[in-house]
Amino acid sequence: MAMATRASLTPFRVGTKELHLPDISITLLRTANSPAHTAKFQVPPWFSKLDLRDYLFHVYDVRILSVRSYVKQSRVQEGDPKIPRPQPSRWHRPRPTKFMTVELERPFVWPEEPEDYAEWNKGEMEESEEEQKKLQESLGPTRDTIGNEERRTAMRDQAKALLEGRVKWKPVAEKGSGRLLGR
Amino acid sequence: MHCTSKALLTGAFGPALRRSSTVPPAFLLPSFSATYQSAFSTTTSFQARKDGNPNRGVSALRRTGLNKRQRATYPLVPKDGPVVLPKPVLDPEQRSAIEVDENHGLWDFFNVDRDSLFTPTQLAAHGRGWSVQELRRKDWEDLHRLWWVCVKEKNRVDTFKKERERVGTMYGDYEADERMKEIRVTMRSIKFVLTERWYAWENARNVAMQDDEVNLYANPDEGERAYLPAGSEQPEMQMRARRTEEQAEDAASSEEMPPPTPEAERREPVRV
Repeated sequence: MAMATRASLTPFRVGTKELHLPDISITLLRTANSPAHTAKFQVPPWFSKLDLRDYLFHVYDVRILSVRSYVKQSRVQEGDPKIPRPQPSRWHRPRPTKFMTVELERPFVWPEEPEDYAEWNKGEMEESEEEQKKLQESLGPTRDTIGNEERRTAMRDQAKALLEGRVKWKPVAEKGSGRLLGR
Repeated sequence: MHCTSKALLTGAFGPALRRSSTVPPAFLLPSFSATYQSAFSTTTSFQARKDGNPNRGVSALRRTGLNKRQRATYPLVPKDGPVVLPKPVLDPEQRSAIEVDENHGLWDFFNVDRDSLFTPTQLAAHGRGWSVQELRRKDWEDLHRLWWVCVKEKNRVDTFKKERERVGTMYGDYEADERMKEIRVTMRSIKFVLTERWYAWENARNVAMQDDEVNLYANPDEGERAYLPAGSEQPEMQMRARRTEEQAEDAASSEEMPPPTPEAERREPVRV
């Protein structure tokens, strides 16, 4: 929010368009490998460099020296992700996203990451995703190509033990309580 | 091609051949002028490289070294002692810590504790949004301030959402959405209240335009009264008011009166 006193002290010429109730969100992104004097934002696609400069100055009281802009094109995708039903052969390209990297007057470093994300149940979520993937594969069109690795290993071990004579082979029928009668 | 007449053939070919030997045709004249003559060569001439670029010809790949006119900013060969070049610190832990200002504006993208990420519990710890009934009692200053609180909170939630996406699959999206819903409720209520207020003001203005007892164009600085009940007559004031009204009617017929700016709206808005 621009006060009259601060507006007169601007180190640059601010824009003259008056926006009383703008609904614009920008997102600060963590860039671990960038210098501390830079900060990266995701901004609306129509945002200009001057917009970001004035926004940061008025709303966050952050002064910047320069802006770099980058528009990332989205990949084409099939169907609408909001619709659960698959929409085959309805290809479209979602709107691109715009990123801006600013050079800050004063350095800023993101706070350190937590040791583990146990409070966010990250491990459980990953396991759940893995299970979901397995289930999808077992129901999918390539389910007959999935081999049971555990069973294969067990059979190999059993065969090896028989060949080496460690185990003596017995017919299965004799193990049961009843006797299999021949025809 | 049955035309075998000798006279016709000489007329067609004979004179033309004779003319070319003496005078060239007009369209070939530019080729004979000296200014158009140049050597046919695809090699770049030496003059082309004189473009004032001080780094021309300097290449790290070909190890040319610096130009004669160039000077390294760091002394490559000191007067005494071996050549010492600064080495980049590859291990991030050995780099000197950067002092971040406690009052840096970008801290507003984080919560009060300045955590790297909101936990789902922290995200869920919020109240409800402001209702229309509560906001009706607030003036423009308060509403404007609250709007910007909402915008900043939205930015905060979005920032943490992106951070969660970066880290991987984890809980928190549901809680963030719930929090965002309450922010939206507040923002919608603010707009609702302002719209309602504007319509109330507009209706009151229309009624006052019709009312004889109300003088919309009274100037309180000159002691004029806007409300003139029919019983209490103030001759001088009434006369002045009537005169102003007549003038105003003339003005209103020519152009629509612009709505007066409320006191609160004179506050400096955000310029983006």
